[in-house]
Amino acid sequence: MSDIIQLIASQGVSIETIYLILVLPFVATLIAAFRQLIGVKSFGIYTPLVLTFAFWAIGIKYGIAIFIVIFLTGTAVRYVLKNFRLLYMPRMAIVLTVISLAILVLLAIGGYLDKSGLASTSILPILILITLIEKFISAQVEKGFRTAAFLSVETLIISIAGYYFIIWDQFRNLVLEHPEYILLLFVINIFLGKWTGIRLSEYLRFREVLKNVDK
Amino acid sequence: MLTFIKNSKGLLGMNARNLSYIRPNNLQGAVHLANNKLRSKEALFKADVPVPRVYSVVRNRRELEVFKWDNLPKSFVLKPNCGGGGKGIKVIFGQKKDQSWISTEGKEVTIKDLKDHIMDIFEGFYSFSGISDIAFFEERIQLLKTLKPYSYKGIPDIRVIVYNNVPVMAMLRLPTRESEGKANLHMGGIGLGIDIATGVTTNAVMHDQLIEKHPDTKLKLSGIKVPYWREILEIAIKCQEVSELGYIGVDIAIDSECGPVVLEINAHAGLSIQIANLSPLKYRLQKVSGLKIKNELHGIRVAQDLFGGEVEEEIEDISGKQVLGIIEAIKIEHKTEEIKENKENGNGKLNIEKPEEKKEIKPEEMELKAKIDTGADISSIDKSLAKDLGYSEIIDEFDELIKNIDIDNASTKEIIDERIKDELARWGDNFDTVIIKSSHGTSYRLVIKMNIILSDVRIISRMSITDRSNLEFPVIIGRKSLGRFLVDPSKRSKASFGT
Repeated sequence: MSDIIQLIASQGVSIETIYLILVLPFVATLIAAFRQLIGVKSFGIYTPLVLTFAFWAIGIKYGIAIFIVIFLTGTAVRYVLKNFRLLYMPRMAIVLTVISLAILVLLAIGGYLDKSGLASTSILPILILITLIEKFISAQVEKGFRTAAFLSVETLIISIAGYYFIIWDQFRNLVLEHPEYILLLFVINIFLGKWTGIRLSEYLRFREVLKNVDK
Repeated sequence: MLTFIKNSKGLLGMNARNLSYIRPNNLQGAVHLANNKLRSKEALFKADVPVPRVYSVVRNRRELEVFKWDNLPKSFVLKPNCGGGGKGIKVIFGQKKDQSWISTEGKEVTIKDLKDHIMDIFEGFYSFSGISDIAFFEERIQLLKTLKPYSYKGIPDIRVIVYNNVPVMAMLRLPTRESEGKANLHMGGIGLGIDIATGVTTNAVMHDQLIEKHPDTKLKLSGIKVPYWREILEIAIKCQEVSELGYIGVDIAIDSECGPVVLEINAHAGLSIQIANLSPLKYRLQKVSGLKIKNELHGIRVAQDLFGGEVEEEIEDISGKQVLGIIEAIKIEHKTEEIKENKENGNGKLNIEKPEEKKEIKPEEMELKAKIDTGADISSIDKSLAKDLGYSEIIDEFDELIKNIDIDNASTKEIIDERIKDELARWGDNFDTVIIKSSHGTSYRLVIKMNIILSDVRIISRMSITDRSNLEFPVIIGRKSLGRFLVDPSKRSKASFGT
């Protein structure tokens, strides 16, 4: 472990806290790279980032399960509410209400089935998951279901990738050993920000054009 | 795979579009203008670029409460002011006996539905960044007969990408059943590549896939000749000049009466146009970058030379342009009643004109002789004649206003406009002013947008009001109104004049 980390840890800051703070910029860069190089879109940088850490806090299995329950409930409620012609804020409040109830039921079922993992998860990340749903639902209203569904899946994929990135042991050791590697992120991001090449997804999208370029 | 990467050099990807073309060429002010439909419409209109007219604007809940639904025509388009990608646009194409309309999807639309939709627009659902927005009602473009078989309940439009005053790539977008009558590609519309030189369609894509036939009408999609092609290119280049966007996507629709009109201008034009044309865009952009383009015609010529597929040399395509003589019979439409009504309300914002009158009840027309004067910039009409056409109130008011204003050679339009700006704002979009400098001195005149029919073509012309009572012709038609015509001085008008 590097000296600086040891110094901070000696002040009573837990290693876990230090690690999470150090790893956040790495995940943010990962999300940027996904967008610029591969072409995986997401709801900005905030949503996949917070989703990543929520998965980390809840555990990937329950994290994804809860996310899917929330997503499906939210989408269903939106469809039902469509016919009521309510304004945006109250409508979203109703969506969140139903989701909260659904989570409560989920926790109760977990208890009944003796799944202690679910009951023992801290509530804060679950609350974050619930509130994140606003992004997903409002995208359905704004961009139509098809586009929103694609964006949601892509956001989920990035977050899962982010999750496996932060639980990767070798990486964890590396960051705690050499926190100065964080400076590399500036270089990487400046490169990403100036890169004008074709994204991986664009090779696929424009394959017909590429086949037909005049020789 | 290797050839793929080699070929991708000329392809314009999202990263390069944003960083190399949009960022340096589309400055913030210009992007704001493009994203604001009403403001960009106004700017284009002032530069004599044809745009669909706005019936009325609804800015807030209070205006929505008092909105006069009866004043809406039978068919119209409801749009959010700052929306993009065709979202939030409601197209109404007919009215039922009771107070409800039919949308292009064939659904009944009530006042309540429209109100709800406008409330959603206010909430910012369809605006770019989710900030609150305003709504407006716009003229619905009448579908051109030749394009009818290719469009499923909606209006096709033509997207032209203009860079450095050269139209580098274009596509025709067709609405489908899936896109619900909208021509936007990501909503399921079809994009057809267009050969820049000839205006003939080449390939077709839907959902980024090449297709041969229209999925709804089963018609073959290549080889369609886009009407008014030259004019469309000219308009697109003009839009770039007016908007000051260096890299612009111009959407143009063709109205069966008015010809090409600009629907909107885009600062972030999409990339699918490359698939429709099976041609990489970056390669074309690099080719025209740095060229000195003198004017619109030069821009078109460069585009045709560089990017035209077939070598069909159509050097001067004059087909489609009417030839006029020096003296022509014209018809001028009488002022429509609705504007008067506005005036009584004292509310310039509810600027409703009923265009369906031109269909149902023909507005009164006045037939007379006009001189085609290529030496004049703007058309003019005799004052007493304009009064007869129903504009007497405004003309009298204008005369009263400028009675005490000293107009000398040094005055500019802006200085004088400033003094009567309240009235100008109240009169609305159809009225403007102009300074005319001639050998007789400087005059400051009222300008009225009138519908005139010249050689069977209906055009909207800006007419300056002046006293021509002692002149032979009460109306002269100037250059700005003659964009769609050629003038042949030796031609004698075939129209016989009733005296």
